[in-house]
Amino acid sequence: MKTALVLFAALALSGLAPPGALAQYGLPGGTPMTFFVTSEPIGNGGNLGGLAGADAHCQKLAQVVGAGNRTWRAYLSTQARPGQPAVNARDRIGRGPWYNFEGVMIARDLAHLHGDTLELARLGNNLTKRTGLTEKGQIVPGLNDYQVPRDSDWEYTKTTPYTNRHEMLTGSQLDGRAYPPGTDYTCSNWTSNADPAPGQAQLGQEGGPNRPNAQIGFPDRNGGGNGSWNSSHGTTGCSQTALNRTHGVGMFYCFATN
Amino acid sequence: MKNICLWILIGSLGGTSTALAQDASKLPDRIPSSLMTFFVTSEPIGDGGNLGGLAGADAHCEKLAAAVGAGGKMWRAYLSTQARPGQPAVNARDRIGKGPWYSAKERVPDYLNRRLSRPMVMSEIHGDTLDEARRGSNMQKEFALTEKGEIVNGIDDPLPTRHDILTGSQLDGRAFTDAADHTCNNWTSNSAGSGSAQVGHSDRIGNGNQSWNSSHGTTGCSQRDLVAWGGVGLFYCFAVNER
Repeated sequence: MKTALVLFAALALSGLAPPGALAQYGLPGGTPMTFFVTSEPIGNGGNLGGLAGADAHCQKLAQVVGAGNRTWRAYLSTQARPGQPAVNARDRIGRGPWYNFEGVMIARDLAHLHGDTLELARLGNNLTKRTGLTEKGQIVPGLNDYQVPRDSDWEYTKTTPYTNRHEMLTGSQLDGRAYPPGTDYTCSNWTSNADPAPGQAQLGQEGGPNRPNAQIGFPDRNGGGNGSWNSSHGTTGCSQTALNRTHGVGMFYCFATN
Repeated sequence: MKNICLWILIGSLGGTSTALAQDASKLPDRIPSSLMTFFVTSEPIGDGGNLGGLAGADAHCEKLAAAVGAGGKMWRAYLSTQARPGQPAVNARDRIGKGPWYSAKERVPDYLNRRLSRPMVMSEIHGDTLDEARRGSNMQKEFALTEKGEIVNGIDDPLPTRHDILTGSQLDGRAFTDAADHTCNNWTSNSAGSGSAQVGHSDRIGNGNQSWNSSHGTTGCSQRDLVAWGGVGLFYCFAVNER
């Protein structure tokens, strides 16, 4: 099994793998894809059109690669508002197991995905740089991949698909649940593309009252001094430009619930 | 067709990323060796699981460190030994001081060009609380460098893979308490096909988990057995006291 994985990786990386195997989702005869990283952002910063807009983006991208026959959910939390309870990302995505484009299992279940016990958390799930693939089977460019000098400049990034873009919006805590109300971690429940007032930017740290901010994680598990896949740090704001400043473009995780 | 092109583009770029990362280690963001307090051995002792016991492994750490000007810091190999009659177990985590530790590449410029420190913290690398275990640590491929500041080849890198790092330890950094061998007879055996060494992965990939210190065991303790599993008998070295 291990050899097979290594072989496949070698083939894929050398570009020698048969194109037929790459043009479809999942390996031939393999497990259908039930997890992916969006290959492109919505493009309006932290304004995803709420959870509904984000789910629709997942569904649309899945549809394009022939995986639209599943119910796709964006891995995003929203915080409680008056008369509106919080939504936890982990409660939205079904029970697993989830498989990526290559048919490789990301996690057996919710407990494996989030490390619900100390041992599970120490071992980690199977979401890594080489398994955190987009719906097209692409590896998400991360730290030190291509060393593009202007990779935190959105004007450059938007036309350069291989800049570091490894920050996935989650708005979630480490356990996959929403933050308590007060400080914004969700770009106002994914409806805001606003930036903090001058001098109020959080420089990649957590937000504050009236400081638009989104909590993010890394599919390549490298960044923020910890490599958390779902809750590493916050952004400097919610505009597309601000998201890109810390090496994200507003992509997120999609999971199939069935 | 577009998808395929993108795939191949990403694939070919991915193939060069290691070379880039290694070039990066030559850039001035390397800290002086004298400040380094953590490294992965660049070379194995070469006799399988027989390291000459903990003393032999510690001496190997010291020798490699001294060769790059980082000697004399009480280097300790991150290895556990199991209890024997009249001989208590030794826990890897209890051998290495308190930290925090810094690898040969301590500082990388961040997006604001600040040069952030990336320390290895005892409680973080072992995930002592649930939050710490979930969040992870700086013990990552990019920082688990050899004493020369080089990346240790792992999954997706040019073969041979060297990412199996001997630890003989459980996830919490302590010795195993069962009767089975997890330490190649307390690092004295190079027996082919018998005994076992628990290993972690310096690149945090393999065996369906991401453990740096306790991912799986080997079958056998000879050098050949170690190689068959994706390692060559490297181990982690930590400095007990900073200079």
